[in-house]
Amino acid sequence: MSLHKLRLAAAVPVTISTFSSRLFLKPFPNTLTLGLFSRRLQPRKPLLVRAFSASAAVQDIPANQTTVSSARRPQWKASIDFKWIRDNKEAVEINIKNRNSNADLDAVLELYENMVNLQKEVERLREERNNVAKKMKGKLEPSERDRLVEEGKYLKESLVSLEEDLVKLKDELQHVAQSIPNMTHPDVPVGGEDSSAIRKEVGCPREFNFPIKDHLQLGKDLDLIDFDSAAEVSGSKFFYLKNEAVLLEMALLNWTLSQVMKKGYTPLTTPEIVRSSIVEKCGFQPRGDNTQVYSIDGTDQCLIGTAEIPLGGIHMDSILLESALPLKYIAFSHCFRTEAGAAGAATKGLYRVHQFSKAEMFVICRPEDSEFFHHELIQIEEDLFTSLGLHFKTLDMATADLGAPAYRKFDIEAWMPGFGRFGEISSASNCTDYQSRRLGIRYRPSEPLQTGPNKGKANLPATKFVHTLNATACAVPRMMVCLLENYQQEDGSVVIPEPLRPFMGGIELIKPKLK
Amino acid sequence: MKGKLESSERERLVEEGKNLKESLVTLEEDLVKLKDELQHVAQSIPNMTHPDVPVGGEDSSAIRKEVGCPREFNFPIKDHLQLGKDLDLIDFDSAAEVSGSKFFYLKNEAVLLEMALLNWTLSQVMKKGYTPLTTPEIVRSSIVEKCGFQPRGDNTQVYSIDGTDQCLIGTAEIPLGGIHMDSILLESALPLKYIAFSHCFRTEAGAAGAATKGLYRVHQFSKAEMFVICRPEDSEFFHHELIQIEEDLFTSLGLHFKTLDMATADLGAPAYRKFDIEAWMPGFGRFGEISSASNCTDYQSRRLGIRYRPSEPLQTGPKKGKANLPATKFVHTLNATACAVPRMMVCLLENYQQEDGSVVIPEPLRPFMGGIELIKPKLK
Repeated sequence: MSLHKLRLAAAVPVTISTFSSRLFLKPFPNTLTLGLFSRRLQPRKPLLVRAFSASAAVQDIPANQTTVSSARRPQWKASIDFKWIRDNKEAVEINIKNRNSNADLDAVLELYENMVNLQKEVERLREERNNVAKKMKGKLEPSERDRLVEEGKYLKESLVSLEEDLVKLKDELQHVAQSIPNMTHPDVPVGGEDSSAIRKEVGCPREFNFPIKDHLQLGKDLDLIDFDSAAEVSGSKFFYLKNEAVLLEMALLNWTLSQVMKKGYTPLTTPEIVRSSIVEKCGFQPRGDNTQVYSIDGTDQCLIGTAEIPLGGIHMDSILLESALPLKYIAFSHCFRTEAGAAGAATKGLYRVHQFSKAEMFVICRPEDSEFFHHELIQIEEDLFTSLGLHFKTLDMATADLGAPAYRKFDIEAWMPGFGRFGEISSASNCTDYQSRRLGIRYRPSEPLQTGPNKGKANLPATKFVHTLNATACAVPRMMVCLLENYQQEDGSVVIPEPLRPFMGGIELIKPKLK
Repeated sequence: MKGKLESSERERLVEEGKNLKESLVTLEEDLVKLKDELQHVAQSIPNMTHPDVPVGGEDSSAIRKEVGCPREFNFPIKDHLQLGKDLDLIDFDSAAEVSGSKFFYLKNEAVLLEMALLNWTLSQVMKKGYTPLTTPEIVRSSIVEKCGFQPRGDNTQVYSIDGTDQCLIGTAEIPLGGIHMDSILLESALPLKYIAFSHCFRTEAGAAGAATKGLYRVHQFSKAEMFVICRPEDSEFFHHELIQIEEDLFTSLGLHFKTLDMATADLGAPAYRKFDIEAWMPGFGRFGEISSASNCTDYQSRRLGIRYRPSEPLQTGPKKGKANLPATKFVHTLNATACAVPRMMVCLLENYQQEDGSVVIPEPLRPFMGGIELIKPKLK
């Protein structure tokens, strides 16, 4: 028995991250947790203490597993289909490369293999312990009894140790596997930014026969936007909207809401402060360097960068009825982004700001329907922007430009004459089951299955993961850039597109104000 | 020491000069420390109080006006939480999972109602010459302090952002006060009258035990806030203009409410005088505050550094400032709630409920909601 245990320990090359390996080498100060993980208030100490008692060997960790990533160990588990990954590892590896992801597939497969073996071992030991317990119920010689008692004790200790190892292995497996990005739609172009394909182009750049202003100049001249006071009050990339710009923001949101509601989307407003675990489950990184996410002091809460996050959270850890699907939402919220790491990128004026209003569409549907809804969402966006008279192109984003959650992503870039180039005004992603596996959103199919291996509880069909999609209906600052710059007149005024006028009390023109 | 001196005389002066210099350095350091200490303790001194303000606690507040009367129901009524559930308008449960208690999602007609409230309020107040604004909701903590709030105390109402000196605003009053900070305005520019929309964030720490049910006390809400910057002699006038605007708004919506002249113990430090409006909330069976209008005189402007230069040139005299310009004076600031959406929603849902479970939309809001007259129970 003891030999077997030692052999197992040697055969299990458990990959433990740098953080816990340091524990083996130095005394473990109580303040370590608070120092490194100043924002994680959950009691991780019990697990760290167990690390001391583990008998598993410590191995070198792969080069791309940094201290930073181990510091952000999530507190929750994604329902990752490891078997599928193992059975499709070539495709998964190619996908990881195409997306320039730093996920470590080899580590995942190795850990998974080890986990499976350890699981078997644990089960085997449990069975043996049960056998010993059974034997001890019968009539025995005292020496025999003593031997069994000894054996039972030994099995129990081994089990405790192995079970601890199994928990740690599962945690480690989760941790590395969560980085594996979603698979990719076969039609998505492979490559970087320049490989994205144009799906559609609408309109053409307006020709101006007078020198044009950019939105910042228009904002100043028409007393619509104030960045200077906001820089004093809040910092750079904050702004006040004034006068007709306020009416324009409200008109954009009101009009967008009414248009999208006609397509059967339920309007919502959402919390803008959420628990950081929700942010992670949606595929964002609240705690990394250059994180886009603002955190609230003294809590595990963050500000949302998009309503996608509280929308994903509404149905988390739920089982929906198939008849309830699809669920289609249009949500308004303010969004907050640090824009850390955006230096050098386009940052002028309203193009990149820390706080903005946005209307976001979110769909929860059956897997077989997500492709359909991806096309519905992009169609809604294209219709909205066409109605506003914008010149834009719809792009099928290439693999290196997809976020980890997106199976496929369509971006719309609109012509911004003040910048003299196209700028992104919306994004529509099909996240398939990436988010739902993390948020725990399932549905139960309606038709009862025939008797078969897939049957879940009693007579109910087994639950499946839903697919989720999200798409920008209206990001107000970027829309404002487009409208101000495209609709400017020689006399300095700005024309309001017709669809918005009823939502602005009939205003047709933003005129320069007399001073 | 510039003159011609005997060497012993010179040395004596050099010695004296050195002593004086050292003494000065020490005294100047002491002066800086004293000034700091003085600032620190003096900043706690609250604003003076209008002579008509009743002295005492909550119960001493005086009723200035009462409008309407409680509606009589001939059927058992629901509170706004029940109405919110039954009509699929408000979701607190999902929000508790996603964010924590006192957060919520609005759904369906409630979203349209929020937008109608804000749109209608904006259009009404703009007619009175108020300039619409939207504001940053993240501000430097110094601005919060200058407005008279305490971002860092225990039981602070203020959320702080990790790793920065920034906070979330609890009211648009804060970024509004900040717009003209450290400025000298022309008298001809006054009054400046703003109506600003923002989301507001409050920790509500220390509110345990107080009324906390449902939409009455939440961490995040939408609010339209009025803000006035004016000459000192005009602030009383504008305080009355602001409360009149509020009373007109709430009367138009058919609410039953009373306007209170808040007693001395209930004024915040910045307020010279404060009028609160409490509306009847049948689901609670009592009145609840839906707005507040404060005249802060020069309390905030002395901290924010907002001055104005009077137009008429003064006669030659001791008060003359630079060159021929009259000396600057501190402005007066006022702030007043035009619409705090969750509390308005409590009032509207509870007061306008019907026996069949539907809720009537007050007439002024209907054009801003696409004509909807009624929120009906949904078929399931």
